[in-house]
Amino acid sequence: MKFIVSSSALLKRLSQVSGVIATNPMVPILENFLFEIIDGELKITASDLHISMSTSIDVESKENGNIAVPAKILLDTLKNLPEQPVTFSIDENTFGIEISADAGKYKLSGESAADFPKLPVIDNEESINMSSDILATAISNTLIAVSNDDIRPAMTGVYVKFTGEHTLFVSTDGHRLVKYVREDIQVDTESSIIIPKKALQLLKSSLPSENSNVIVNYNTAHVHFSFGSISLICRLIDERFPDYSNVIPQDNTNKVGISREALLSSLKRSAIYANKTTHQVRFQIIGSEIQISAEDIDFSNEAVEQLQCEHDGSDIEIGFNARFLIEMLNNITSDNITLTLSEPNRAGLIYPQDLGESEDLLLLVMPVMLSNPVAATPN
Amino acid sequence: MENKSILHLDLDTFFVSVERLKNDDFIGKPILIGGVSDRGVVASCSYEARAFGISSAMPMRMARQLCPEAIVIRGDMESYSYYSKLVTEIIRSQVPLFEKSSIDEFYVDLSGMDKYFGCYKWATELRQQVTKETGLPLSFGLSINKTVSKIATGQAKPNGKLYINQGEEKSFLSPLSIRKIPMVGQNTYQLLRSMGVAKIKTLQAIQAELMERVLGKVGVVIWQKANGIDHSPVEPYYERKSISTERTFDQDTIDLHKLNAILVHMTEELTHKLRKTEKVCGCIAVKIRYTNFDTHTKQLAIPYTSADHQLIPVAKRLLQQVFQRRLRIRLIGVRLSKLVQGTHQIHLFDDQENMLKLYQAMDHLKQKFGTQSVVRAASLGMRFRDFNPFKGDLSE
Repeated sequence: MKFIVSSSALLKRLSQVSGVIATNPMVPILENFLFEIIDGELKITASDLHISMSTSIDVESKENGNIAVPAKILLDTLKNLPEQPVTFSIDENTFGIEISADAGKYKLSGESAADFPKLPVIDNEESINMSSDILATAISNTLIAVSNDDIRPAMTGVYVKFTGEHTLFVSTDGHRLVKYVREDIQVDTESSIIIPKKALQLLKSSLPSENSNVIVNYNTAHVHFSFGSISLICRLIDERFPDYSNVIPQDNTNKVGISREALLSSLKRSAIYANKTTHQVRFQIIGSEIQISAEDIDFSNEAVEQLQCEHDGSDIEIGFNARFLIEMLNNITSDNITLTLSEPNRAGLIYPQDLGESEDLLLLVMPVMLSNPVAATPN
Repeated sequence: MENKSILHLDLDTFFVSVERLKNDDFIGKPILIGGVSDRGVVASCSYEARAFGISSAMPMRMARQLCPEAIVIRGDMESYSYYSKLVTEIIRSQVPLFEKSSIDEFYVDLSGMDKYFGCYKWATELRQQVTKETGLPLSFGLSINKTVSKIATGQAKPNGKLYINQGEEKSFLSPLSIRKIPMVGQNTYQLLRSMGVAKIKTLQAIQAELMERVLGKVGVVIWQKANGIDHSPVEPYYERKSISTERTFDQDTIDLHKLNAILVHMTEELTHKLRKTEKVCGCIAVKIRYTNFDTHTKQLAIPYTSADHQLIPVAKRLLQQVFQRRLRIRLIGVRLSKLVQGTHQIHLFDDQENMLKLYQAMDHLKQKFGTQSVVRAASLGMRFRDFNPFKGDLSE
């Protein structure tokens, strides 16, 4: 088997899928790209057993065939070659690969394509179409709150619930929760899936910059995204997502309206003076003023800032991890936000004020216990 | 480098002196303070008791055999820390920079004061003031560094003072036993004796490299101390990197139920202490010592927390992992480390609101009525000795 391809075009395609390959894969074959040539088209697949991602490129070739190519060597070679046509000659008996370029020849040994894990077949699937912009927004909104804690696998992915009225995207790590609603995606049969974080990260980086259509197929075990020449199949997290709807407070009557930028930069400055591990800051909301204070006792560092806000509710003192708030405020675009609170030991909710017509976004953050709250809790 | 003047103050037989303040009858009699059970050790003893060959850290049983007529007192940490605080306040009022290294020991940096007051004269006056205002005897040593001053205090006792002139450190140390060096414990002493080293003089003559080969890095430090070299500064405040507690049983036990109850109790005590000082910990360790003195520790890094319901299950799990042999246990301990300033980050699913309120209420009660006022039923009756007073006073 022999084919000729542009070095930079191939490198571009390989980079699209190479993120799937784990640094220490469970089986050595997964350190390879699977190359399959069918009628002048080279299909490239990478897999980590849970996720398989593939793309394709036209090549100059007379025959069909397949081979598994060591990913790292191939990528490193192409990265260091100037743009030029390169010829791959593959001995299908010994799995030897020879790459010929202007400068010279490189030999490496591949593996049998038959050893590469087969892609799962998705049957009984539901299928919907989604715009890549919406999908990208949903992913970037929810990815920040996904947990890294393997003890609770359900929370290491984004929960997606399709209903007749809307589609919900929810993520939580127990300290934060993000709920993103799209009213313009409706599915007749109600169902829910949990998509692993890694698949969404890969998807986010490979989604095209110009808006295009993404076909999403899913059943109870897998989800399959396809757009352009890229196809990503991922095994779903087979766990029960925690009951998020019950923990989102409905009665946060204490409302604070504030400029996102002002709050964010104030928090960034205050956090410099907070403890470097716990990042705790204290909010004292009195009348239409928020006082944000932080201290690091070990270094005698201390910061106090005042911010003007629109406040509707009683005065309150509440503690937060500044890092959580900074990440969340950084991740939204609205100029103004509404922060709602109830008690110093109950969740705070952030609502962006400027949102698109058919979308809704809620960010929840749990406070830290304050030992000496000034505003006493009722009852 | 400018020459320093470091003062070391040590209250003589501190616990005994406090007991004598409270009760005149104890004056002039052999007094032992410490655990009264068979497993207890002597925490402090009067000079009259020392005449019988008793020393602190000796098992109480042995001490009573040596001196049956000695008065044994259980000890009252509360009044000891009260008097310790009194002394601290007097020193604080006179001194800008001091270090409280334990409940009855202080280091004071008097560098540069010689010009104006005369360090020795000033220290003598400070000592007189403390004795006058509290009635407690104390000794001091004054020299160019902490180690020499501490050894000098030891030589000055009881109720004395000693000034080591600059340049005379080595000659002061050389006739003393190597046991006088603060870092030389039982094991190191035995080792050095087996090498034929008995006096500091011999140690001074040994090459530092040899000490390093025999004892590692510690050997070099000991060698430096023997030569009167110590550059450690007087630190007014040092960060506690961990808090821990342990308990030796009256009788070795294999009763898992009892072990768990004590573990719960000790963890409760420590977490309360954490919350009181607004700290969270990122690592928990459980230690056990079998009846044959084999000691095993198991630790686990955890997300930063100070909550009982997160730490107690981990402690129990660690005990299960570390307790592998079918042997009786004589000691159990818990340590919380990686302490950082902070309070509990509330969890969306794991924390119930009433639970958080319960913690606050319990901490409030403990603060008001003492740590034993409210405990988990499982740990009821598992009272244990409070923190080791020799590791510095936490309450400040």
